[in-house]
Amino acid sequence: MERLHARYPFLEAAREAVATEAVDLATIVEQDGAVVERATQRVVTALEDGEIGDARRDPRTELLSYPVARVLVSLVDEGILVRKYARAEAEAAYERFTADFEDTVELKSVSSSGLELEDLLREFDLEDDVRSTDGGYRIGVGRYLPLAAGLRDDRWRLVNRALSGGEVPIEDDELHALLREAIRGRIEEGLPFAVPDAIATSLEDEAAEIREVLADLELTREIDTVVPDLFPPCMKALLDDIQKGEHLPHHSRFAITAFLTSIGMSTDEIVELYRVNSSFGEEMTRYQTDHIGGETSPTEYSPPSCATMQSYGDCVNKDDLCERIPHPMAYYEKRIEQTDEDDLEDWREESGEPAAGD
Amino acid sequence: MEERTRAYLRGRFRDHYRRTELTLPPAANEREWGYIPWTEGPDTTMVRHRSLLELGDLEEFLVRKRPRHVYFSAGRFRDPGAGSMHEKDWQSADLVFDLDADHLPNVTLGEDSYAEMLATCKDALLRLLDFLEDDFAFEDLEIVFSGGRGYHVHVRDESIRHLDREHRREVVDYVRGIGLEFEELIETETVAGLGRKTPTERRTLRTEGGWGARTHDRFMAFVDELLALEEEAALERLREFDGIGEGKATATLNAARNNREGLEAGNVTVHTAVAQLAERFAERAVEADNAPIDEPVTTDTNRLIRLPGSLHGGSGLETVRLERDEIDAFDPLVDAVPETFTGHEIRVDVADGGEVELGGDSFTVPEGDQSLPEYVAVFLMARGRAEKEKE
Repeated sequence: MERLHARYPFLEAAREAVATEAVDLATIVEQDGAVVERATQRVVTALEDGEIGDARRDPRTELLSYPVARVLVSLVDEGILVRKYARAEAEAAYERFTADFEDTVELKSVSSSGLELEDLLREFDLEDDVRSTDGGYRIGVGRYLPLAAGLRDDRWRLVNRALSGGEVPIEDDELHALLREAIRGRIEEGLPFAVPDAIATSLEDEAAEIREVLADLELTREIDTVVPDLFPPCMKALLDDIQKGEHLPHHSRFAITAFLTSIGMSTDEIVELYRVNSSFGEEMTRYQTDHIGGETSPTEYSPPSCATMQSYGDCVNKDDLCERIPHPMAYYEKRIEQTDEDDLEDWREESGEPAAGD
Repeated sequence: MEERTRAYLRGRFRDHYRRTELTLPPAANEREWGYIPWTEGPDTTMVRHRSLLELGDLEEFLVRKRPRHVYFSAGRFRDPGAGSMHEKDWQSADLVFDLDADHLPNVTLGEDSYAEMLATCKDALLRLLDFLEDDFAFEDLEIVFSGGRGYHVHVRDESIRHLDREHRREVVDYVRGIGLEFEELIETETVAGLGRKTPTERRTLRTEGGWGARTHDRFMAFVDELLALEEEAALERLREFDGIGEGKATATLNAARNNREGLEAGNVTVHTAVAQLAERFAERAVEADNAPIDEPVTTDTNRLIRLPGSLHGGSGLETVRLERDEIDAFDPLVDAVPETFTGHEIRVDVADGGEVELGGDSFTVPEGDQSLPEYVAVFLMARGRAEKEKE
């Protein structure tokens, strides 16, 4: 059993096994160098190579290194680390379970220590929503959408699927990819969490090492700069219209508001920006912005892609950079990158508005 | 709007609510409620973040407040009356679709009459229901005439209430046909070469569902249309397509004549011209079959939606729940006229007259002081086109 848990430490049963080990994490991080070392390796390799490194032969060390790795990720507390780490863990699990599935197909009679498809479906409560058909599977659309949301290829878009009767037909390898997504979701869940001081102190050095790796990768810069001059042409045009007091269709207002929210603007700031040069009713703007931006909506929320902007006719004044990016956010990121930091003048400083949305 | 008009409408809305029984949406006490009172000026402020507990008995509330508009949230919350979305603690949300004549591509604003816009909207509603009932197989649907310019559909199936904004956008794109890639509708299989040395690819349109099936239906209808034509006429019909010349037209017609079952099975490898044509029909399918819903309404999991059974303060019409089999016969301009406003005339001063189709009649309303059936007068006043006169 321990071997299975060491291979798949995100399983509910593995979590329970760790809990009943009657070891407390503080003691482990203080005394068990091998566990901490493996945990650090999991996280560092995830950042550098998108993998979690070779498993330790001792299943106990391997299993315990997983919760410790989660502690490390929580200590460093960076969104990009959480995402990269979860992706790498899920990738490792994917390689293992697809290998296990192969084995079970070949050695039907042998009850291996491997994981079977049914186990994994049950783990994610998918057994009633995925059914086997001739040459593949069908999955309920309500389960498909969240699982496919993180997959970028066009073929995952619902519009390109042969949806019927509330089910999406999928092939074997597609089901496996969706399970990888389910695992990724499970691993991201609850990260980062608050780490007790005693544990944090013991892991200071490891956390510092990870921070260093992260800094070298230069991935952490989150956009929180508002420079309207560098906006993509589509967003510039929409903002101009608003500032002129023109009435925008819902999808356009939605696009610009989502964009502004994504670059770190608060509702107050958006209201302020919209109001420049116009007599636009503040109350209405505020209502719509809260409404569209969802104020503190339950989900992170992103502006439409170039493709969507095009289909709504909001893609205008395309320039060279537009040809090379798939998303208005990518445009803005590139432009900010290309500009000397000292030359960036944040609109919020310029207008004397408080920079933080308070 | 003048004070006398406002007072009149408030009073008559109250009369209406006194004699009307409303059905609450399911889990009404987990939802946020909001309303817009009758106030001066076009800029109206919504009173929101109210729980049902705060409003008290809804019917009693409507009689007391006789609001201009009443809304409830698609979302369900642990604390619906809390002042911020965060504190409300979102649990789930109905999947709501809004078809609004203002947003329909085949409505010409300022040219189409209200009745024409609503008819166009009903066509779009039927197309939307086709997706929701067949493709998505939703079972818990509430269909509503909005009382204004369109229709709402509230989907409450347990299986989709947890979906967030991003997932709902996929649903929107699906029914609108946004992001459809013909290549993704094609399944490619490598088959051993029949009498050929190298294996070859067989490309098949996925016909079992989705936009692939819609594309296929349209394509096969076209194939059968070709087969019914004389040779010359069929070739000419084919050549009407961009990029289809003499050779491709002949090849396609031959494929239709000699290998109809191949085409029926979705095989597009028959000839390059066939794949090329099928792609055209994917575009046509989207153009003809898509349901042009208003995206932000569907993706916003905190959205407030007009309460079925309430009055629309911008038209004086009732927001009407419709059974599935009532849609065909439903005429919003007759069936959504509240009974309260029928049977007598009142005096109004019309500033902006013209044709008004309502209650099964057509009125040519001149400007100025006059008596009109109350529902016509209420409609004009609610739209800001008339003011109440002393009786």
